[in-house]
Amino acid sequence: MLEAVWTNVDYVASVVLFCIGLYIIIAKNNLIKKLLGLNIMETAVFSFIVALGVLDGGEPPIMGEGATGPYSSPIPQALVLTGIVVAVSTTALALGLIIRIYRQCGTIEADELREME
Amino acid sequence: MKNAFVTALLVLMAIPLLIGVTALPPHGSADAPMHTHVSARYVERGEEEAGAANLVTGVLLNYRSLDTVGEVTVIFTALVAVLGVLISFPAAPKPPDAAGAAGTARATDHAAPTQPQVSPVVGFVVRLLAPFIALFTIYVIVHGHVSPGGGFQGGAILGGLFIALTTVLGENRTRCLLPRRGAPWMRGAALLAFVAAGVIGAVLTGYFLGYPAETNHLATELMLLGIEIGIGLGGAAIFATIFLQMEEE
Amino acid sequence: MHDWAHWLPLAVLTPLLGAVLTPVVSLRDRHVAPWWALGVMTVTSIAATMLIVRVALTGPFSYLPGGWMPPYGIELRFDEFGASISVICLIGWLAVLYSLRYTEWLREVPKPRIPYYYALLLLNLGGMMGFVITGDLFNLFVFLEILSLSSYALVAVSGEHIAEMAAFKYLLMGAISSLFVLFAVAILFGLTGSLNMADVASRLGDAESAAPAALALGMLAVGFMVKAALFPVHIWLPDAHSIAPSPISAVLSGLVVKIGILGMVRVYQIYNTAGVVDMHWLNQVLVWLGAISIVMGAFFAVFQDDIKLMLAYSTISNIGYIVMGFGLSTNLSIIGGAVHVFNHALIKATLFFAAGCLIYRTGYRTLADLRGVGRSMPFTTVAIAIGAVSIVGIPPTAGFLCKWYIALGAFEADQPFFGFALIFGALFIFIYYIRMVNAFYFQPVTHPEILEAREAPASMLFPTLLLAALCLVMGVLGRIPLSFIEPAAQRLLPPLGG
Repeated sequence: MLEAVWTNVDYVASVVLFCIGLYIIIAKNNLIKKLLGLNIMETAVFSFIVALGVLDGGEPPIMGEGATGPYSSPIPQALVLTGIVVAVSTTALALGLIIRIYRQCGTIEADELREME
Repeated sequence: MKNAFVTALLVLMAIPLLIGVTALPPHGSADAPMHTHVSARYVERGEEEAGAANLVTGVLLNYRSLDTVGEVTVIFTALVAVLGVLISFPAAPKPPDAAGAAGTARATDHAAPTQPQVSPVVGFVVRLLAPFIALFTIYVIVHGHVSPGGGFQGGAILGGLFIALTTVLGENRTRCLLPRRGAPWMRGAALLAFVAAGVIGAVLTGYFLGYPAETNHLATELMLLGIEIGIGLGGAAIFATIFLQMEEE
Repeated sequence: MHDWAHWLPLAVLTPLLGAVLTPVVSLRDRHVAPWWALGVMTVTSIAATMLIVRVALTGPFSYLPGGWMPPYGIELRFDEFGASISVICLIGWLAVLYSLRYTEWLREVPKPRIPYYYALLLLNLGGMMGFVITGDLFNLFVFLEILSLSSYALVAVSGEHIAEMAAFKYLLMGAISSLFVLFAVAILFGLTGSLNMADVASRLGDAESAAPAALALGMLAVGFMVKAALFPVHIWLPDAHSIAPSPISAVLSGLVVKIGILGMVRVYQIYNTAGVVDMHWLNQVLVWLGAISIVMGAFFAVFQDDIKLMLAYSTISNIGYIVMGFGLSTNLSIIGGAVHVFNHALIKATLFFAAGCLIYRTGYRTLADLRGVGRSMPFTTVAIAIGAVSIVGIPPTAGFLCKWYIALGAFEADQPFFGFALIFGALFIFIYYIRMVNAFYFQPVTHPEILEAREAPASMLFPTLLLAALCLVMGVLGRIPLSFIEPAAQRLLPPLGG
C-alpha cells in the first residue's frame, strides 16, 4: 500500500493540492482569496494530467534531428494547454465580476456581502 | 469552528480520492495503457501524418483540432463575458449619492492616467526590451510546429507585452494597436482562421479540418501556420481588450 | 462520408462563428445584433432538423473531423439523445426573438452591452449543441466550459449588484464542478489511454483495479449533479435563475441545467457498457436525492411570492423527477426521465417567457402585486395557466406522460415509496397553481394601473404562446418522443439488470 503511494506520489500531491484549493474556496472570506483557491484547484488538476503523461526516461515529444529514445506522451500536454486557457478565461470573468461587485458594494468580503443581500 | 468542520469534510473527501489515485497504473511505466494505446500511434506516425515535428502541436491542431476550436471559443467567451459584464454607461460621472449605491464609497479615480506613476527603471527596461520581445513572439508563433511554442504561447507573450507597454506608456499611446474598426476582427481572428482552414481542409480532403499532410506538404504547412498566426493574434487582442476594459472603470 | 453527416460540425460551428462575428456586424449599429443572432439560429435550426430526421430514419451516426478514425481523433456522435438539439434550437431561437424587445427595456443594462449579450447567448447555445453531439470526453469538457462561462456572464449581464453576486456564486460552484469532471476524465484517460467515449467504455473493463473507475464515476456524478442543481448542491440555482433576464432564465432553466442530466446520460452509457463498477449504489443515491429534490423544491416553491423565484424552485423539483427517473433504472422510468428533459424545457420556457411579459408590462414580480392581471393581459395569463397545468402534470399536457412513466417505473422497480414522493410533489405545485390562478383572475387588484397594462408586444407574445401551444400539443402527441427515445433508453440500461 505504501509502495503504491510512493510510486504514484505525483498523483497524491495533486490530490492534496486539489483538497487545499477546495478548502480555500469554502473557508476563506475574501472573494479574491476564493478565486485564488479556484486557481490552485485548477493547477492541481493540470499537474495531475501532466503527471499522467510522464514516461520514465522519456524525452519531450518533439521530433527532429537528434531526437531519439522513448517519448513522453504528447496528449496530456495538449489537454493541459486547453485547460490552462479555460482556467484563464474563468479567472478573467471572475475578476470582472469582483470588480463590479466592489464598485457597487464597496466590499469584497463574503460575509459583508451576504448581509447586504 | 467552521474551519475545523470544513477540514474534516475535506479529509473525508480526500480518502476515496487517494485510494483511487494510488490504484492507477504506476506513474511513468512504459506499459501503462496511457503510453501504449493512442499515444503510441501519435509518437510513431505523428510526424508524417500530422505534418508537424512538434507532436504536441500535431495533437493540438490536427488530431484533436476540434478541442482547439473549443479552446479558442472559450477564450473568446471570456472576452465577451468580461465586456458584457464590465461595459458601463458612457455617461458623465454620477453625483456621489446616486440611487442604487449601497452607500459606501465607489472607486473614485476615473481620471484616465495619461502619465502613469512607474519607476523610470521599469519604464526604460520595458521600452528597451519591447521590440525584442515582439520579435521573440514572432519566432515562437512561427516555430510552433517544429519546436516548443505555438499560437497560444506567442499570443500570451504578445498580450503580456501589450499590458506592460500600456502600464508604462499609458493607455492613450497603446490604443493605436487596437484600432476601433479592426479590433473586432482581430479578436475573432482565431476562430475565423480555424474555420477558414477547416473549410480549405474540407475542400482538399473531404473532411472538415482535414489536412492533406501526406500528399501536399506545403498546403499543410501553410494551413498550420495560418492557424497559429490567427490564434496568436486573436489571443493577444483578447488579452489586450480584457486588460483595457478592466482598467477603464 | 455521406453529405448528411457534414451537417454535424456545421450545426455546432454556426452558432459559435455567429457569436464571434456578432461584435463585427454590430460595430456600426448595435440593432443589427439581434437580427444577426436570429439569422444564425435559423441556419442552426435547419441543420439540427436535418440531423434529427437522419437519426430518426437510420439510427445513430458519427462524423470524424479531420478524417481520423476513432480513437485517434475526435468523434462527433449523434444518437437519439442528440435529439435534444431540437429543443435547444427551438428555445434558443425563441429566446433571441424575445430578447429583441426585452433587452432594450431593461434599464440597468447599458446599451453598448447588448451585442455582447447576443454573442453570449449564441455561445451558450453553441456550447450546448457541441456538448450533446460530441463523442469525446475532453471535448465534452471544453464545450461544458463554453456553455458554463457564457451562463455565468449572462446571469450578471443586467448589472445589478445582486445579479453579480449570484453570478459569482454560480461561477464558483460551476467551476468547481467542472474541475471534478476534468479530474474524472483525466483518471479515465490514465486508466484506458483513450478519450473517446465508446473506446473508454470498451477498455475500462481491462483495467487492473476498479477503484479508479469507481472514483471517476463518483466525481463525474458529483460534477454533473452540481450542474443539474440536484439537492444538496442546488443552492446556486434559485438566485441565479430568478435574477437573470427572463429570456435567459428560460434558457438556463430549460436547457443549461439539463446539460448536467445529459452528462450523466453519457456517463451511464460508458459505465453500463463497461460493467466494471456496480451502479446500484449510485442509482440508489440518485433516487433518494431526486426524491428529496422533488419534495423540497416543490415545498419551497409554494411559499415564494416572487414568480421567478417560484419557477426557479420548481426547476429544482423537476430536475429531481428526471434524476429519479434515471436512478430507478427501469425501462419506463428512463424513458420518462429522458422525455421530461424535453418537455420540462418547453414548459419552463413558457412560464419564464410569460413571467417576463408580465414584468415587462407591469414592472411587478410578486403575486401580491400582480393581482388581477388576468383581466388586462389575457393571453399571457392563459399561457401561464397552461404552463402551470403542465408542470403539475395534468393530462393532456406535456408534463403528464413523463411523470406517469416515471411513477410507473418506480412501481416497476419495487420502490413504490418514490412513486408517492412524485405525487406528493405534484400536489404541492398544484396548491401554488391554485394560488396563482386565484391571484391573477379572481382577487381584487392591488395596483390599479395593472388594469391599464396592454398585452405584451408581438415579438414577446409569439414565443410565449407558441411554447404554450406546444405544451398542449406535446401532451396529446406524447407517444412520439417516448417511442423515439426508447432504443437509446434500452441501450442505457445495465446489461444485467433492468
